[in-house]
Amino acid sequence: MADHLSKVIQEERPSRPDYASLAKQLAAIVGSDGVSADGADRLANCRDYWPMGTLWFLEGKSPALPDLVVWPRRTAEVAAVLKLAVENDVPVTPYGEGSGALGGAIPLQGGIALDLKRMNRVLKLDRDNLMVTVQPGMNGARYEEYLNRRGFTGGHFPQSLRCSTVGGWVACRAAGTFSTRYGKIEDMLVSLEAVLPDGTIVHGRDLPRTSTGPRVDHLFLGSEGTLGVITAVTLRIWPYPAARIYRSYAFETIEQALEAIRRLIQAGARPAVVRLYDSAETAHHFPECKEAAGRALLILLFEGDGGIIAAEAGLAAGCAGEQGALPAGSEPVERWLKTRFDIGISSALFRQGAVVDTIEVSTNWTNAAPLYHAMQKAMLAVEGTVLASGHYSHVYPEGTALYLTLIGFPSGDKEQYYKRLWGAAMESCLALGGAISHHHGVGLHRGLWMAQEHGTTLEALRLIKRAFDPQGIMNPGKLGLEEAAKWRQ
Amino acid sequence: MAAVNGERLLDCAICPNMCRCECPVDQEWRREASSPAGKARLAHLLLEGRLEWDSALLEVLSTCLGCRGCQLLCPFPGLDLSRELLRVRTEVCPAGITLPAAVPYLNNLKKFGSPYGARRSGSASRERQGRPEVLYFVNCTAQANNPRMQQLTLELLGAAGVSYEVLDQYCCGYPAQIWGDLDLARQLAEENAARIAGSGASLLLTDCPECWHTFTECYPCWGSELELPVIDTATYFLELVRQKRLKPGPVKEIGRITYHDPCIWARVADKCEAPRELLQSIPALELEEARPGGQETRCCGGGAMFQLTFPERSARIARRRLSELPPSDALVTSCPFCRENLQADGAEVLDLVELLSRAVFQEKDE
Repeated sequence: MADHLSKVIQEERPSRPDYASLAKQLAAIVGSDGVSADGADRLANCRDYWPMGTLWFLEGKSPALPDLVVWPRRTAEVAAVLKLAVENDVPVTPYGEGSGALGGAIPLQGGIALDLKRMNRVLKLDRDNLMVTVQPGMNGARYEEYLNRRGFTGGHFPQSLRCSTVGGWVACRAAGTFSTRYGKIEDMLVSLEAVLPDGTIVHGRDLPRTSTGPRVDHLFLGSEGTLGVITAVTLRIWPYPAARIYRSYAFETIEQALEAIRRLIQAGARPAVVRLYDSAETAHHFPECKEAAGRALLILLFEGDGGIIAAEAGLAAGCAGEQGALPAGSEPVERWLKTRFDIGISSALFRQGAVVDTIEVSTNWTNAAPLYHAMQKAMLAVEGTVLASGHYSHVYPEGTALYLTLIGFPSGDKEQYYKRLWGAAMESCLALGGAISHHHGVGLHRGLWMAQEHGTTLEALRLIKRAFDPQGIMNPGKLGLEEAAKWRQ
Repeated sequence: MAAVNGERLLDCAICPNMCRCECPVDQEWRREASSPAGKARLAHLLLEGRLEWDSALLEVLSTCLGCRGCQLLCPFPGLDLSRELLRVRTEVCPAGITLPAAVPYLNNLKKFGSPYGARRSGSASRERQGRPEVLYFVNCTAQANNPRMQQLTLELLGAAGVSYEVLDQYCCGYPAQIWGDLDLARQLAEENAARIAGSGASLLLTDCPECWHTFTECYPCWGSELELPVIDTATYFLELVRQKRLKPGPVKEIGRITYHDPCIWARVADKCEAPRELLQSIPALELEEARPGGQETRCCGGGAMFQLTFPERSARIARRRLSELPPSDALVTSCPFCRENLQADGAEVLDLVELLSRAVFQEKDE
């Protein structure tokens, strides 16, 4: 059923496993309802939320197809599946809820799509030490709901909260919109359990800090399924915040706003949410805010102990005032809270023939404004681009993330336009010393720039990959560790 | 029924599943193809002629409870995925391809007019002198699983001095529609509409949200529009309480109750207030709100006849919902599917009518 759809970037693998026989062996491990060669399942697990995947879907094409979809429920089952995959030289692509934006979940060489969604139990809630251990396939919103019911928060609210998994967050080094207070997922991770391709199960320990050499379990942070499979994660949690304060400020220039934020963060304040929108995004998201017309709007959300956040809000007012900002009240923050998961406009644009994407990078404060201007200019110079707007979010004492939204209506081939657009973005980012990704990860597509991003460390990363996965069965073609020839063409 | 709205379906298909956390099917199956957008993607490819129909595909597209939980978080105003999937199953799926698990129940419907087999006939009437005030439509599920509901409802009507008649009815047509047999659904509707019209009643009373929805939304589209208002038991009995025609007293041994909002009453019919007000009319009763509850309620797993076609999954969804409900002396709901399904682990579940009956008659009986 699914096979007659063209598989536009599927790569060949020399081995030719007998998938019918393999399916029987897998059923003996995960049960007959835990393996499928059904066309509906193969199609469902062939892509994620990478815009190229969406464009191909609209053309009735599939990027690649897994031969089998397998749903383990336990770590031991994952270990047995991986051992069988190694024995048969079958590629394995872990799959969560498919919200990745870079094609990381595409089974580039076919094989097994290892769907981890049925591993979705909470294994342990440690109230005294503020930690929770969960299986990787738990849905993000359900994870937060579980914690809220018990008086805690996980503090992790990516826009994909409702359609991503806890394991996916760790595997992609995700960030949530409340990251300035709670950190990125790597700041929340205490330990994890993972299965290596040979079936070995490795565990970290749930201790605050250690000085016992490199943390092997932490190597899986951002590994995107290339080293093995994450089967449990222990994350920090927080008491549900007692109070919240909302503030917003409108600045004449991006530079003034960035300076205010830098001073605020370097003074020690940690608002949960810090978002600075350029004038285009301010006009789009906050049309009702008169103070912000033609300006850059900063929204701040403080949460936690009432006394502490009141002091932080006071500090923010001072920093904003020093830069000539106009206070714009709490309404823009309330509006953001209501609309933060609304992605409806993207679908409408895709249907109208647009290419839509977002690119998030990170940089130090000294380059924060120049990088925005340079990347925006580079992308607008690509013929067909009609919008390259931006906002800053996820701020740190040493710098910030920059998030750009792109819309193009190319007159020619969309795939070529997409590559040109990304090429302009990545080259301009690298030229100014930015990191090519802050939290979306690498997947398939960003692998094209991993050599420039990493320099000599990429080869070290490849050595680690070969040590863990000598046959290269784990999510081949991703993270820039191997060639993804058809996509590079 | 209107044609499939391909544009709306495509919106869903290219969404990253922003609603999946509220989809009980997705949380139970954990199968990408059964996620809301997963189904929309398959449906889109079928509409585009890029996939061929088979019963396996139909089964995937049938894994929708119709609970509209997805609409709570949907980024696309006006999109009702359950309706679009229903249209795909009933109007695009070729004849001859049927959900295998539904076949025996469709056969029952054809033979007996009820998915459960032989029907009990209605015709109980009280003080009928000319046109009855109320025509009571007994839903098939309560008839099969909780026949006492009919008796209790009639006792309450009688106590309030309402003249009534019980319709000697066929299934409303909802299951036939859900399983893709629109012709059968239309036949059942036509038969029911004729009998309802013949009764001369001024009001049709139902305790089933799916029957209510089918009467009010589908019958007009099927050319069988009813000429009388259709009202749910909660709203109707509340009115009788307000008019002091029913006088509820305290219910022995029940002080705190939890109310589970059936999804169709809550989200399609916007009926969250009437059951609460009716509950509050019972003295000394304390209501524990479910979280999520009201319009944000979660399906018990009984929607779309899942108890018949996906019984194990349906029971597991019920257990998940039960785990979200606060403990109390009694769990109360107002839907025969919810009542049946939430008893998954032997928990006692009362229909609102059963509780009201105890409140009205308990003291009298003692």
